[in-house]
Amino acid sequence: MNESLLFLILLLPLFCAVFNMLFGMRLPRLFTEVMAVIGVAGAFVLTLLFWGYAEGDGSRAVLFTWLNSGTLNVSFALNFDRLAAPMTLMVTGVATLIHLYAVGYMREEDDYARFFSLLNLFVFAMLVIVLADNLLVLFLGWEGVGFCSYGLIGFWYRKLENAKAGTKAFLVTRVGDVFLGIAMLWLFALTGTLSISAINAQAALISPGVVIVLSLLLLLGACGKSAQLPLMTWLADAMAGPTPVSALIHAATMVTAGVYLLCRFFPLVSLSAVAMTAITAIGALTAIYAASCAMAQRDIKRVLAYSTMSQVGYMFMAVGAGTVAGAMFHLLTHAFFKAVLFMAAGCIIHLGGGENNIFKMGGLARRGPAELFWVFLAGAVCLAGLPLTGGFFSKDSILLALYTYPDPVYRVFWLIGIVTALLTSFYTFRLVYLVFAGEWRGSGHPHALPLLMRWPLWPLALLGLAGGMFNLPAFLGGGEALHHWYGTMAGRMLTASHDVEWMLAGLAAAIAVVGWFAAHWRYRTYQAPLENALSRFLLSGWQADALVDRFFIRPFNAMALFSWIGCDRTLFDGSLEGLARTATRCGALLLKITTGRLTTYLSAFAWGFLILLGWFLLKLVEGGGH
Amino acid sequence: MISFGHALAFAGALFVLGLTCVLLHRQILMILIGVEIMLNGASLVFVAASAYWQQVDGQVFALLLMAITAAEVAVALAMVVYLWRRKRTLVADEFNRMRG
Repeated sequence: MNESLLFLILLLPLFCAVFNMLFGMRLPRLFTEVMAVIGVAGAFVLTLLFWGYAEGDGSRAVLFTWLNSGTLNVSFALNFDRLAAPMTLMVTGVATLIHLYAVGYMREEDDYARFFSLLNLFVFAMLVIVLADNLLVLFLGWEGVGFCSYGLIGFWYRKLENAKAGTKAFLVTRVGDVFLGIAMLWLFALTGTLSISAINAQAALISPGVVIVLSLLLLLGACGKSAQLPLMTWLADAMAGPTPVSALIHAATMVTAGVYLLCRFFPLVSLSAVAMTAITAIGALTAIYAASCAMAQRDIKRVLAYSTMSQVGYMFMAVGAGTVAGAMFHLLTHAFFKAVLFMAAGCIIHLGGGENNIFKMGGLARRGPAELFWVFLAGAVCLAGLPLTGGFFSKDSILLALYTYPDPVYRVFWLIGIVTALLTSFYTFRLVYLVFAGEWRGSGHPHALPLLMRWPLWPLALLGLAGGMFNLPAFLGGGEALHHWYGTMAGRMLTASHDVEWMLAGLAAAIAVVGWFAAHWRYRTYQAPLENALSRFLLSGWQADALVDRFFIRPFNAMALFSWIGCDRTLFDGSLEGLARTATRCGALLLKITTGRLTTYLSAFAWGFLILLGWFLLKLVEGGGH
Repeated sequence: MISFGHALAFAGALFVLGLTCVLLHRQILMILIGVEIMLNGASLVFVAASAYWQQVDGQVFALLLMAITAAEVAVALAMVVYLWRRKRTLVADEFNRMRG
């Protein structure tokens, strides 16, 4: 085997996507579904087979030279290293289970070929981001993810709001992409190359001021895809898509792309303390913002969407605190338990006959299959960070990194992290109690759950619960396997006395339990949603949409209106129409001559004849003069 | 023997008379008669020139002109009949459908 075989990881989903696009509707349905699953599952198996390539310094493979013009030399290069390998494995693994789930979920859907080909294309684009060794190739995947999310979120495009949600996701993430594009061009101007490894190698040579600006540009690019402040508004609306899409976007792909980008450029970003603080601040603000919004949401998927935003905020904080291993650890555990939560939410909605409102659910622990409750609970305790679950360890390592960071400002961020953990635990158990406890309050007829929608949840739930084993901290006798795997890429080594670690872990555990008790106390018996100003404010996501509308969309519309009425209508159309009107008036003047009367024409003939005659006579007289 | 100058003067007078007839009359028939007189004036110039230069072409052309005139009159009178049927009038200015 040689390195170029790594391309098979990419080509398999791409091939299946194109195949389903072209022939999906003409072949039996089963064939299309099998193709879709094989495309991703095959990539998963290949990643396992090629695992050895990631060891050491990783493997680079160049398939072909994409662009070659002057100093610009872009080769389609892959970099399968210690950072990319676990990410690839996670993306393909989780995506495989989501694909299987999707086969069950989309059983009644007519447009299955479009769905599955877009889903495969989505995984392909994400893998391009993960594996790219060239910024332009990464950008290709980056845009591909954006396009596929547009197509998938607006999958049921016949309803206008779904199509609008897709457009919104596309446009908002595009704002971030602009900044990434600027960073890309600037990096090329500075280093003369677009290869990520080469840029990172030269990072120390770039002047500190420029590094700050570049890092902030990369951060803004990451914010767009990862739905961080201020580009977060698209994520909650992205729930308009089918549930497997939500699971894919929010667990395994897309939102983690921003975190991954920052980890990829960690050697560059970590050079600037200002940028690191900015990353942490954005992560912290988003975490607490989204957690507060999630407390008031009534749509089960929106609660999960805000929790995703909040958890990705934790990952940003981890990057900002200098621990790539911590960020990736949380990324992996989050991918597992969030995929479980979303897919279980899809089952819950199915059982409720399409009901999304958690205040119209309840009693599902008895009403639905018991396993659904346990699986959802497994995801929920991970999200809430109850002790010994995967989410507990990964969140704890981030809080530890924040606590031990030399800069005292980070203590504020740590505090925000703690408060967010409390809120997270509260809203997670609020969700659990409202959905599963009490009596059934809904009215819809339950749909049957196909087997394919049930069993993909189990492996993910177990992975989420046991996710802590990947990076068990040393004070609990763990080997910190993930940290050692990343080696030099892992970022800052977290050095703290075991007392501090015990203290922090105890605090995190206590916080999670307090949140649980608070939710238990409030929602043990059913409580109608609060209707005060605060809950409305939180329900609308701090009026973020209204703010964007006020400060961006309306000024833009006003400008467009001015360009349309003021410039185009008045200036351009006006002057052109004025010219046309003058021409018409001249024509009307000439029209008066054409009377249609024979005698007028005859006298005109005669006058013309007379003038010609006079002319010739004049010539004759002049000629006679000689 | 009539001199060439006299013949030309006579032909010119005939042409101008015909033109005056064409311009002053409103009746289609009178306009056509004016046109005939102008054509005769022109024929006369050809004949006179033929006699002056002692060449037969002019007379040939005069004969040709007669034939053309006959054809023209045939068509024109047919149209006069047609116009009469349409509007029961032969005043030329009544037929102003070509007005812009």
